[in-house]
Amino acid sequence: MSLQRRTLAAATTASLFAPHVLRAQAPVEITVHYAQPFIFKESYDAIAAEFARREPNIRITWVTTPNYEEGMQLILRQAATQMQVDLSYQGFNRLRIFAERGIAQDLLPLLQREGDPARHGYSANILSLGHFGGMQAGLAYAASNPITYYNADLVRRAGGNPDAMPTDWAGTLALSARIKALGGGTEGMFYTWPGDDWMFSALLFGHGGRMLSEDERDIAFAGPEGLGALRLLDRMVKEGGMPNLTREAAQQAFAAGRLGMFFWTTAALRGTIQQVGRNFDLRTTVMPVIDPVRGRLPTGGAAGMLTSRDAAKREAAWKFLRFSTSVEGTTLMVQNTGYVPTNQLAIDEPRWLSEFYRQNPLFQAATRQANIMIPWYAFPGANSVRVTQTMVDQQARIVEQRATPEAVLADMAAEVRRLLPRPRG
Amino acid sequence: MRDARGRRGEALAAWLLTLPAGLAFLLLLLAPTLAAIALAFSDYELGNWPPHWIGFDNFREMWTDRGFRISLVNTLVYVAIVAPLSVAGGLALALLIESVTTGRTLFRAIFFLPVVSLTVAMAASWQYLLHPTIGPVNAMLRAVGIAGPAWLSSSDTVLLSLAAIGIWESVGFNMVLFMAGLTAIPRELREAAAVDGAQAAWDRFRLVTWPLLGPTTLFVVVISLIRSVRVFDTVAVLTRGGPNKASEVLLYTMYTEGFTFLRLGYSAAITLVFLVIVLALMLVQTRLLDRRVHYG
Repeated sequence: MSLQRRTLAAATTASLFAPHVLRAQAPVEITVHYAQPFIFKESYDAIAAEFARREPNIRITWVTTPNYEEGMQLILRQAATQMQVDLSYQGFNRLRIFAERGIAQDLLPLLQREGDPARHGYSANILSLGHFGGMQAGLAYAASNPITYYNADLVRRAGGNPDAMPTDWAGTLALSARIKALGGGTEGMFYTWPGDDWMFSALLFGHGGRMLSEDERDIAFAGPEGLGALRLLDRMVKEGGMPNLTREAAQQAFAAGRLGMFFWTTAALRGTIQQVGRNFDLRTTVMPVIDPVRGRLPTGGAAGMLTSRDAAKREAAWKFLRFSTSVEGTTLMVQNTGYVPTNQLAIDEPRWLSEFYRQNPLFQAATRQANIMIPWYAFPGANSVRVTQTMVDQQARIVEQRATPEAVLADMAAEVRRLLPRPRG
Repeated sequence: MRDARGRRGEALAAWLLTLPAGLAFLLLLLAPTLAAIALAFSDYELGNWPPHWIGFDNFREMWTDRGFRISLVNTLVYVAIVAPLSVAGGLALALLIESVTTGRTLFRAIFFLPVVSLTVAMAASWQYLLHPTIGPVNAMLRAVGIAGPAWLSSSDTVLLSLAAIGIWESVGFNMVLFMAGLTAIPRELREAAAVDGAQAAWDRFRLVTWPLLGPTTLFVVVISLIRSVRVFDTVAVLTRGGPNKASEVLLYTMYTEGFTFLRLGYSAAITLVFLVIVLALMLVQTRLLDRRVHYG
């Protein structure tokens, strides 16, 4: 009896030191984190179901956070104590923080094991969305860009043609003024400038500008492009009659049919469709074009990043990340969220998504602009998030008409410069 | 001999009995406070380990930080509006409800409702009420020909709107405390004052009720000050400190610095300032008012 027990104990100890080959056959359990389950849950569920069929030995435990910010806090806290998450889907603009703090792992070697990444749909453009801190910190899972939501009923009442919306800002602002003139508390337009720097970068990139210089030592937005962006914001108030609202208030007004045009991320499309219901004829279209040649749009959304410190778990987590961003994965993601696909094959080959877009025309606006999407710029250093808050605060002065675009640009430049990391040596 | 042992046993029992409370105080209050004090002198950022000792740098930065200064001033303005008005309002409501004979319970319940309801949920209702285009408040103003302001998104009105919500929230709480204080005052005292010539209600209030309410008032004032310095929920839900920091308050700044900007060291330094303010308030209030309060 006692001998048997000792043998058993010895066998268990031996199995602990057994080579990996033995352990690989046993089921691997990984923990995957993502944010905003109200937007993403259906897409991850669909992908996980398909993944389970291909990799029955990998079990996934899910952890979710209501938003990206809490998701970032979760991973940073675990990095300071004990990392339990093996794979985490984070907002594009947060990846740099993880890359600079040595938490995200470089994915390029893993990708290159299969040969040229572009062959599997990971084009240079798509890889650049997750390239931060000099490494492939993440793989884009879902991408979004700003689009125009509009109330076709109001546009019609104001004498506009909802089937041929103005394609530039001059026409858009004139239409906005006409909608506002309908009266009864109706507003023409709202551009979602509060929150973070994303919508400001849409104005800046739209003029062909950039946030910082190539070497990231100084700001680059204080030139004509930045001034153009702020002047446009000023014109939205002066010519378009844009009201001073919080983002939530603007969304509520739009859903209630009291706001003509609403400029925000395509990520909000599913929620907006639900909110609007049958209140009015909801339509979407591309953003008004600023500079037809140099103009670009920022990319929002999420990328998967590997954080596992255990070899077997890392391998399993990579398999899921790879599948979730493959052409099959991205197709499931688009069908369940309305985001822009993040695998070039799904964009190029019509067999994956053309049927979906034909049935859901509202989702076309973002994909029509996919060719001018560039990465959402993340500022370097410890103050990266603080910089974006400064930009939002400064824009408020224009929206409240308390300062000219010129004065705001100068203050914005001075404040952002102060917050950038000082060059070493 | 037996006496001494008994006394020692009693002392031991006393220590044992206070042990749970003492441990809880140590672990849940003292240790975290000391940790926050230590962090306030470091450059700790979430995800950047180990932190470095930087002395008073955080406090020096605070001194020059425009955002912190605005936040401090906003908090003081908010407290200066909310604390006196919610104390006065609570007292007025308590006196009014005491003076009626029917419907006392109903009125008490109505005014106490904001206290027991969840602030975050109530904030959502306020967001709707004060909505610039679809909100009932501005719809009513529009009906009489006034263009209502953007209550929660204009830097002129945002702090006032938040203060109004703050008053609405705490006036019921103060009312209940005052009502408790009022019932403790014997009716005979007021009747005796009337016999002595205090015919007007105001005289009876000034000469009898108000002095006897002293201890209650002291407590209500201190509680109101501390509650209003602690304003956070409504700011976080309704305005996020905007526009351009017009509604930035101390606790919200602490939160964004620590958890959005990840600068936990700086955030701990702000916490320390907050702690000092609260302690000073309590000390000044009790010391100053204690001497004047009449404990019947």
